[in-house]
Amino acid sequence: MMEILRNMLRRKGRTILTVTGITVGIFAFTVMGSMALRFNKMISGGKLYVTGQITLMPKGTSFTTGSGGALLPLDVLQRIEKVEGVAAVAGGVELALEEPDPDNPFGGASFGPPPTIEGMDLQSSYKNRNWQTLNMKAGRMIEKGDSDNTVAVGYTIAADNKLNVGDTFTIRKRDFKVVGIVDQTLTGPDQYVFMPITAARELLIASNPFLKSLKDRADEAGKITDADLAKLSAETRKQLLEARAFKLSDVSQLAAASWKDGQDPDVVSNRIKEQFKDDVLVLSPTKLGETIDKASAIFNAIILGSAVIALVVGGFSIINTMVMSISERKREIGIKKALGASNRSIAFDYTLEAGVIGIVGGIIGLGIGTLTIVIINSKTAASGAEIFLLSPVFMVGVVAFSFVLGIIAGLLPALRASRMNVVDAIREL
Amino acid sequence: MPKVLIHATGLKKHYQLTKTNAVHALRGVNIDVFEGDFSAIIGPSGCGKSTLLHILGLLDTPDEGQYTLDGIDVMKMKEREANVIRAKKLGFIFQGFNLIPTLTAKENVMQAGKYGGMNLKQRKARAEELLELMNLHDRMDHKPNELSGGQQQRVAIARALVNKPAIILADEPTGELDSATSLEIIELLKKLNRENNQTFLMVTHNMEVANACKKTIQLKDGLNA
Repeated sequence: MMEILRNMLRRKGRTILTVTGITVGIFAFTVMGSMALRFNKMISGGKLYVTGQITLMPKGTSFTTGSGGALLPLDVLQRIEKVEGVAAVAGGVELALEEPDPDNPFGGASFGPPPTIEGMDLQSSYKNRNWQTLNMKAGRMIEKGDSDNTVAVGYTIAADNKLNVGDTFTIRKRDFKVVGIVDQTLTGPDQYVFMPITAARELLIASNPFLKSLKDRADEAGKITDADLAKLSAETRKQLLEARAFKLSDVSQLAAASWKDGQDPDVVSNRIKEQFKDDVLVLSPTKLGETIDKASAIFNAIILGSAVIALVVGGFSIINTMVMSISERKREIGIKKALGASNRSIAFDYTLEAGVIGIVGGIIGLGIGTLTIVIINSKTAASGAEIFLLSPVFMVGVVAFSFVLGIIAGLLPALRASRMNVVDAIREL
Repeated sequence: MPKVLIHATGLKKHYQLTKTNAVHALRGVNIDVFEGDFSAIIGPSGCGKSTLLHILGLLDTPDEGQYTLDGIDVMKMKEREANVIRAKKLGFIFQGFNLIPTLTAKENVMQAGKYGGMNLKQRKARAEELLELMNLHDRMDHKPNELSGGQQQRVAIARALVNKPAIILADEPTGELDSATSLEIIELLKKLNRENNQTFLMVTHNMEVANACKKTIQLKDGLNA
């Protein structure tokens, strides 16, 4: 072991350069890998959620680009609930926590979902099959019987807005009482505000000029008594009755259906699809799960691919260094062989030396990478989601990997050294 | 009659330099070395001295011929077996500068013990014992570049002795030393031969060294002269 370190120090400059090569590679690998881990954690949470339900969307909308203002009327949801195999259906409303800034309509770039209001139908018996409950950090989840001005907030929302249970949280100019804070999930719910659906619907309508005009007209029409209505012309009466038909409970942007025990969700999805093909888009758990897998696979391939390139470059720098240092030490190898060293022991010495170069670079790269991650995470934690997830298993893996990388890179030159012809090596004496 | 350590007959070796140009280094050399011998292979440069020593040291293989080392037929030996024989039965001393520069004197000596199968404790004890014998007790932890030429060669001799080899092969052991130091090294080798009955076979073109030897084997143009 001492000999290896001394050999490394024999050419300090070259060793430093090689170690730097590995350091850069492992640094990139640590940072990119932690980003991928964070991303995958988020994705897997989302996947668990969407595969625990049959997702229903109004026709004319898309899962990725959002609702185009289309809605799911309550009547349709109630009819879907009666489809064979369906256990329960709940409508939902989702909207951004803050009204879009007119000067910056796209908002700031963020990693993962933006802060979102999740309107929950507390009356419904619906439950996601994979995600029944969320662990609470403090307080409790909103439940049946809570006032409309009650919310439970996700971990990041609570941290960003410095919220505690019992605090008042002003959302879109309306005051809500915080009854609970959800524990960190590292996925969607961290950025959610859970709100009774009526309140969420009201906020949505207030922010949507079209829905607002419908509601205003319904409210106006509602003020007219039936007696007064009878006095109006048939045409006007018809218009007013139509206006009255708008109900808050018809405002659902999306819905989720659960299936009864023992039912195949894909079969149930198809049943809904066939009966309601003019009203809703049905996304089966399997299909949505596959879509998510595909998206995350591409993302992973991009970030890990770039890290692997950095590592391959680092690996080649080890090969280069070992080839150089072995040709410089040809005489030494000759002496060792003359003294009776076996090919295996020579190959072992040089491979180990390459492994040590790898592990030294790996530890330094991991150290710098970890430091970078901690600094960036501490900065982004204040303004939204953390970008990186540092896992101890991953860190140990990175160091082990750098050692293995060194071994692999050193193997070829080491084998070449071990097979060196002794007489040729001795002649250099 | 002393024991025969090396018995080789009809050794031939050629080197193909280019397709049309081959050098016949050995054309059928016979050699016998007995236990307790202190012999020199002499001859003009290019006569095949070093090639013969390499073949006898199992560093190279002859094209033709018979060779038994300490009763073992080494001609058909695999490389792995040859490594073991080299470590246990043979000691090598090369012409100057043959120590590993990153290791101290003691570590250089210990390394040979490692290949000979000794454990760390045995290697350490043996290296210290031999370096004492070589009068290098105060130089054990010095690196080769901190030692004089004569001291380096004494470390190399200690290293050759570690595994108590049947025979020590030396290639120009005094080649890069001044005459006073050469004499000192030769005296040391003679002492080891006299007191421990250590067998030596060396290659030299230095007549002083050759004259100090009990026997000489003369080569000329790849044949026994």
